[in-house]
Amino acid sequence: MEIIVKAEGLKKYYGKGEALVKALDGVDLEIERGKFTAIVGTSGSGKSTLLNMLGGLDVPSEGSVQIGGCELAHLNSEQATIFRRKQIGFIFQNYNLIPVLTVWENIIFPITLDGRKPDKKFIMEIVRFLGLESKLDTLPNNLSGGQQQRVAIARALASKPSLILADEPTGNLDSRTSEDVVGLLKVTSSQFRQSIVMITHNPEIAAQADRIIRIEDGKIAM
Amino acid sequence: MLKNNNLGICRRLMMREIKFHTGQYILLAISTCLVCMLYTFSLCLGNLTYNGFIFSYKMIYGSGSHILFYDLTPSQAAGIKGHRSVREAVSLSAIGVLSDEMLENRSVKLASVSPGWAKETEAVPMQGRMPKKQNEIALDELTMNSLAIPYELGTEVSLKWTPADGSGERVDTFCLCGFWENRMGQTETCAWVTEETAQKLSSGGQKKQALGVTLYRPGDLERQGEEILSDLGIQDIAFTTNLAWNDARREYAGLKAGRFYRLNLIVMLCGILMLYHIVRLSAAQDVRFYGRIKSLGMTPRQLRVLWAERAALLSLSGLLPGWLSGFLLCVVLAPHVVIGMEENPALYFFRLWPFIVSGLFTFLTTGIACSLPMRAVTGKTPVEAMKFVEKEGGGRRRGKRRRTSLFLMAFSGLSRRTNRSVPGMASLFLSLCILCCIRTMGASYDQEKYLEGMAVFDYLIADASATASIQRYNPKSRSIKEEMYQAAAAHPAVTGIGVLRTMEVPMYAEDMERAQIIAAFEGKDESGTVRKEYMADNPDWMAGYEKMRDKGEYIGIATGVSGLMLEKIMAQNILIEGAFSAELFDTGQYVIAAASSSSELKVTPPAGSRVMIAGREFEIMASVPLEESMISGANSREAQFHVTYYMPEEVFEELFPGYGIRNVGIDIDQNSQEEFELFLEELLMETKADVISVSDYQWIFRNAVFHNCMIPLFVGSVMLLIGVLNFGNVLARGVLVRKKEFAVYESLGMTRRQILRVLLLEGVLHLASMLLFLVPATAAVTWLWGRWWIANTNTWCVTWHYSLMPLWVSIPVLAASALLIPPYFLKTVTRESVTERLRVF
Amino acid sequence: MDMITIHNLKKYYTNPVIGRGSKKPVVKALDGVDLTIARGKFTAIIGASGSGKTTLLNMMGGLDMPTEGEVIVDGINLSSLREEELAVFRRKKTGFIFQNYNLVPTLTVEENILFPLDLDGAAPDMRFLEEITELLGLADKLEHYPDMLSGGQQQRVAIARALAAKPPVILADEPTGNLDSRNGQNVAGLLKMTAEIYHRTLVMVTHNPELAQMTDRVIRMRDGRITESQVMPC
Repeated sequence: MEIIVKAEGLKKYYGKGEALVKALDGVDLEIERGKFTAIVGTSGSGKSTLLNMLGGLDVPSEGSVQIGGCELAHLNSEQATIFRRKQIGFIFQNYNLIPVLTVWENIIFPITLDGRKPDKKFIMEIVRFLGLESKLDTLPNNLSGGQQQRVAIARALASKPSLILADEPTGNLDSRTSEDVVGLLKVTSSQFRQSIVMITHNPEIAAQADRIIRIEDGKIAM
Repeated sequence: MLKNNNLGICRRLMMREIKFHTGQYILLAISTCLVCMLYTFSLCLGNLTYNGFIFSYKMIYGSGSHILFYDLTPSQAAGIKGHRSVREAVSLSAIGVLSDEMLENRSVKLASVSPGWAKETEAVPMQGRMPKKQNEIALDELTMNSLAIPYELGTEVSLKWTPADGSGERVDTFCLCGFWENRMGQTETCAWVTEETAQKLSSGGQKKQALGVTLYRPGDLERQGEEILSDLGIQDIAFTTNLAWNDARREYAGLKAGRFYRLNLIVMLCGILMLYHIVRLSAAQDVRFYGRIKSLGMTPRQLRVLWAERAALLSLSGLLPGWLSGFLLCVVLAPHVVIGMEENPALYFFRLWPFIVSGLFTFLTTGIACSLPMRAVTGKTPVEAMKFVEKEGGGRRRGKRRRTSLFLMAFSGLSRRTNRSVPGMASLFLSLCILCCIRTMGASYDQEKYLEGMAVFDYLIADASATASIQRYNPKSRSIKEEMYQAAAAHPAVTGIGVLRTMEVPMYAEDMERAQIIAAFEGKDESGTVRKEYMADNPDWMAGYEKMRDKGEYIGIATGVSGLMLEKIMAQNILIEGAFSAELFDTGQYVIAAASSSSELKVTPPAGSRVMIAGREFEIMASVPLEESMISGANSREAQFHVTYYMPEEVFEELFPGYGIRNVGIDIDQNSQEEFELFLEELLMETKADVISVSDYQWIFRNAVFHNCMIPLFVGSVMLLIGVLNFGNVLARGVLVRKKEFAVYESLGMTRRQILRVLLLEGVLHLASMLLFLVPATAAVTWLWGRWWIANTNTWCVTWHYSLMPLWVSIPVLAASALLIPPYFLKTVTRESVTERLRVF
Repeated sequence: MDMITIHNLKKYYTNPVIGRGSKKPVVKALDGVDLTIARGKFTAIIGASGSGKTTLLNMMGGLDMPTEGEVIVDGINLSSLREEELAVFRRKKTGFIFQNYNLVPTLTVEENILFPLDLDGAAPDMRFLEEITELLGLADKLEHYPDMLSGGQQQRVAIARALAAKPPVILADEPTGNLDSRNGQNVAGLLKMTAEIYHRTLVMVTHNPELAQMTDRVIRMRDGRITESQVMPC
């Protein structure tokens, strides 16, 4: 099986001396292409930090991350950014929508940054599926939390990335919508051979994953 | 795979940001405009100062041409005209020079009309026209004054002149067809006649030309002049270079302009400071925003483009109004910087380069200021940037819990933004220091002291033929008419009036009488130098002195004085010897001797001795130092060494009947100054008599003070404006960025009034803490600087006057903004419902 | 005995639109809600995201004004209150627990908890404060600032704050949304317990069906209307 994400000896420390916080303390991880991986753990266990490292949003204190055979540490910040927006779709816990852009503009933002033409048909399909058709011209501030989250999901899927990293994507959704969203993620991932890494609290959603990784105190628990 | 950056999105993001944060952008644009205005202003002013200096040199020199070649044959002139480094050339064929001794040091050429030359030397008739007919002549006013020619076209004019062919002095009669006013002290000019007249006068001899040449590159004129001649193989041709273009003068002009150019550095510092300050207030928010779009895949390059476009847009929006306002200011202030031009110097010396340079500087300034949040983002990973919180000073208190009172909330809110308001404070402090120092300087200039020293008379009217030292007094001149004197004397505002008439008289002194003078000049002063040595560089004086020493012959100047004139002489001066008695003086038997002397030296014949003036015998009653503010009456070279004898005016008229008035001194009641000046203007309208009035001195004084204070005053004011804007901005942003915070308070049951009270308290505390620093610091800086300045200035008319007026004026403005701005913005911020605001990112 | 009475409550708003057509769609967040909530009961409001449950809760807390209809809490008709009175109502009658806690970052835990009381100038009941902080496991965190606490701890501070002024009504908006399920169960348990101990009326918005099981009554919403009101068996 092809390995899409490979992390070795990943460590992230904050602070110094007594106040030293080990957010990640030596994580080795391999994720196969096309698989759905769930990361679970208590709050503060380092799940989000790990996800940020895998996506190149944060730099580890030690260790390396490879995505599709490309060592992230070897890229300069310009290259890393372009690599990230082409290869990875992020769903942030706090959505990270841009307040000055409309929903539609938000969804196609990573594609616009790339200077590519959005695949309108495909994106409209996602939009319809997520029930956002009537909100396309709205500004994010006027949406409810759940709607904002759906916009974030649509944005992550729009550029058809090979890896989707999701930080509690269903945290603000009710259980039915949550299941729908996970279903959508699974469908699109199998269609485009995408890999999904998702942090979740919801045991039902975790149960649908191909693999569950449990994080405790910055380490992977066996 | 790693290319494909879409840059168009940057513009869309930027435009959208402007739409959402219009207020901040407007403020930034206004600030940019102010910065651009200051740049344009100082650069334009520098430019016109430089050119103004060169221009005034040109005027004094009398010609705009760079090099003047003399005595050229027509073929030589044509050769020079065609030389590659010559841009333009004007020629002049002079047939001779006016040689009336009344012209003294001025050189007036009699020449046939050359429009080009006339234009270069500003010798174009403003009344009447250039000569067209036989025997017509156009003259300048200084020459006419010297020769006592009335200002009437068609007047018969007899001129003494010396032809250039060496045929000896002759006198010819012309008809005046035009005249012009001289610009400043024109030492060289022409008297224009027609070509035919010139032909006739010079009786057809070989005519030589003078050629005025304008070069492409004015610089090192001597070398260029020689180069032109050697290129053409012309020898033994004299040329003079225009002193206005001499390197030393250009350097001096550059030095004068330099202080305006240096001003740009301060402007840049302040500009960056103020734009930085505005940007800084929302920096944390911007960093998080940039972090967010970075996490979505915006590359550093795209971020840089976003930054550059932002800076460019700001510069562009500020550029046009900045240029315009800067230039307008320059137009308004230019006449005070370059004095004595008829056209507005700003328009006359208009150049394009200050605008281009100020545009570039503006872009640089905005660029540097805007790069702040951008720089903060580049070093950070997207996660760090998104979580970015500005380090907050204070706020965290240790120790026992106190009740969270509104005061404590205000206090913590205030301490949270102390470090954020440091740049704003810096610009306020800087501007207040500049303004208070300038105010102290301006207030310390003492007009009373100056007038006391400079204006002995409120008004001193001088005969037109002898207002400038380059001319010679013409006793026949009647520019001050007797009836004018009578009319002035009758004016109710006049408190004192007197006249002065002079005449050079050859005199003889007995050995005993001249011994006192000789003793003074042959003696040594404290430094051991023989006193007469100080006059060694004045050969005419030496000749006069030696003649007196050896033969006893010297020039005495009989000076008739009346009324106010006598009062001033006796009031201003110390008696060197003798005693003054007005009654005895009025008998006409006595004179008062006076001579120019730096100390109380006895350089006149001794008091009590008798002198013969124009056949009448007088006794010297007393001797005093010469009163320098009145005309001395010395006209000729022989009179360089002279002794002045003051006598009653009636006695003078008996001795020298029919001589014109040289000086009228008038003192008036200060309350009717305006009215009297109108009267005087009307009175003297017909003549060219020169008036030095108290208001001239007042004007000169005020102008000098203004000139000294203007630039820092202006920069200080703009900076103060910026500082106040910044302060207002801090207050406004302090409310706007806490939109959500206030919503949280409200959701927890805090009333609007309580929030408002917190804000007002914050504003007052902020102001108080600022003033706590600003007032003593500004006062101290002003005092120290003022003391230093008073001690080091070379101006004599200053009295220490400490003033912090700008500080006191700005405090109410600041207080008003502290009390008015927060409520206003609180209202706009709380327009939406609590829940809507809670949802804000 | 009714604590909260809601009559024909409507909330419409138009979304500002940027570009792409100019029609302003009217969103009906609440479209005619009638509801009474009895004193001392624990009520859960559930529904899909965007169904209007948070809006309804905000109306009960006087955080938002309805387009139409009225809300009466503890005998006070909210629409009759002026701006200032509404703020006083909020701090005296309701304790609101926000989804994102809304703690004041510059105040310590203790100051945060007492903030509504301080706003009122009322003297805090220190024994009561000790009791609830003990109960919520915050006794040793009182000197800490919110950003030094974990999400669960912050949530507990928010609960303590909601209780501190002893308001008759406690409104909680997805108080367990950001917690994992074990923590979520604990917090909900705490809420239920404290409400029972101090006889408070508790209304909670949630989308966790398990939590809804713990309540006395479950109200289900859809498209701004109440579709189902179910009294849970004890």
